[in-house]
Amino acid sequence: MSSRCPDRSGFARVVILVPLLGLLLSGCGINNIPTDEEQAKAKWSDVQNQYQRRADLIPNLVETVKGYAQQERSVLEAVTNARARATSVQVNADTITDPEAFKKFEDAQAQLSGALGRLLAVSESYPDLKSNQNFLALQSQLEGTENRIAVARRDYIEAVRVYNTELRTFPGVIWASTLYKSNKPMQEFTVAEDVKQPPQVKF
Amino acid sequence: MLRRATLPVIAWLCLVCAAAAQSLSFPALTGRVVDEAGLLDAAARATLTQSLAELEQKTTDQLVVVTLKSLQGTSIEDYGYQLGRRWQIGQKDKGNGVLLIVAPNERKVRIEVGYGLEGTLTDAVSRLIIENSILPRFKVGDYAGGIKRGVEDIIQVLSGDAEEWQSRAAQRPSPDSVQPAPAGAVWLAIIAVLVGLGFLIFCVVRGGAICRAILQFLFLMLLSGGRRDYSSDSGSFRGGGGSFGGGGASGSW
Repeated sequence: MSSRCPDRSGFARVVILVPLLGLLLSGCGINNIPTDEEQAKAKWSDVQNQYQRRADLIPNLVETVKGYAQQERSVLEAVTNARARATSVQVNADTITDPEAFKKFEDAQAQLSGALGRLLAVSESYPDLKSNQNFLALQSQLEGTENRIAVARRDYIEAVRVYNTELRTFPGVIWASTLYKSNKPMQEFTVAEDVKQPPQVKF
Repeated sequence: MLRRATLPVIAWLCLVCAAAAQSLSFPALTGRVVDEAGLLDAAARATLTQSLAELEQKTTDQLVVVTLKSLQGTSIEDYGYQLGRRWQIGQKDKGNGVLLIVAPNERKVRIEVGYGLEGTLTDAVSRLIIENSILPRFKVGDYAGGIKRGVEDIIQVLSGDAEEWQSRAAQRPSPDSVQPAPAGAVWLAIIAVLVGLGFLIFCVVRGGAICRAILQFLFLMLLSGGRRDYSSDSGSFRGGGGSFGGGGASGSW
């Protein structure tokens, strides 16, 4: 049969084999590495957004607290300085594959978390401040942002785990060592979010 | 014989381990009011369900009230967003889901806001609702009253003013586009069957080892593809596919 019309059967074979090859390759996860990479990058920009949001809230908070608690100058200055340091760290999509830059970013944000926690703890001892509507709104926004940061970090860590696992396990390791040689494993947050939680101080 | 049995056993063990690794357990989404802690009587549940259903009809926003027996050792913020994601409260394209979570044993309450409503029901507004409407009643043990007032306030915020209210109602997806999945699945199945039949006819005509391999492959693909489970009888209510990112506010009493 095939000897009678070799051209047609050859064509039929190509028609069948090409989609089949595509199916097989995607079945073997040829797309997994780029997909996971994009996913992790999206989660990373989420993390960045939330940290940025926190940085945006801080000047307002500092101003409000200043009006009621001027004697807490050192705490206020610590927050302002930590914010300046955190926002001066250059971050982009490459940061996540660069351990040093990532560590710098994380440390700066951790420092800001600590300073912010002290400020909120100190403000507990000013009843006028605590009953100020503006302060209450800022405080709840800040708490919400801290919570969003925690969620975004966890989502990012999970996405990175999936991506890094894909790079190192079969069949992804085949594609990682051939097609996607330039893909590097991404960094995870090392300091647990619980450790960074602002200290609870009761007066 | 023994060796043939090992593989399924290993697979089963893996499944069990995966299930165990997911440490938090979540109640089933039995309706718009999931009263696991038993704070509400039947009448209160019915009224709440009614007003929550009305809200979804007007704005497509899904608001769910849930009371929990236990937070299982984690914070209400941590539990809340995971519960929202699990239940997929809110429409998928809008992310407009809200959970009012009450954990009476931990004395914690939280308004968990989906991605799409973070701009409307902001953290500050959620906090105000909790502080002003819910906590005063919870403090004197009036759980039903606190939940009722909280829900009323949330609905008021979500309904917004008349104009916004109208435009949102206009954006409401038409009934047949709300759940396109089953219809799409039917068409997909029909197409798959047709394609399969085409191949079958082709292969019967031509024969050959490659064709047989293709047939087997297709058969396996169909088998592995047919495993999407639709929650068939979870009542008339289910989440629309919304997601949560930690928006909202919490309080304790």
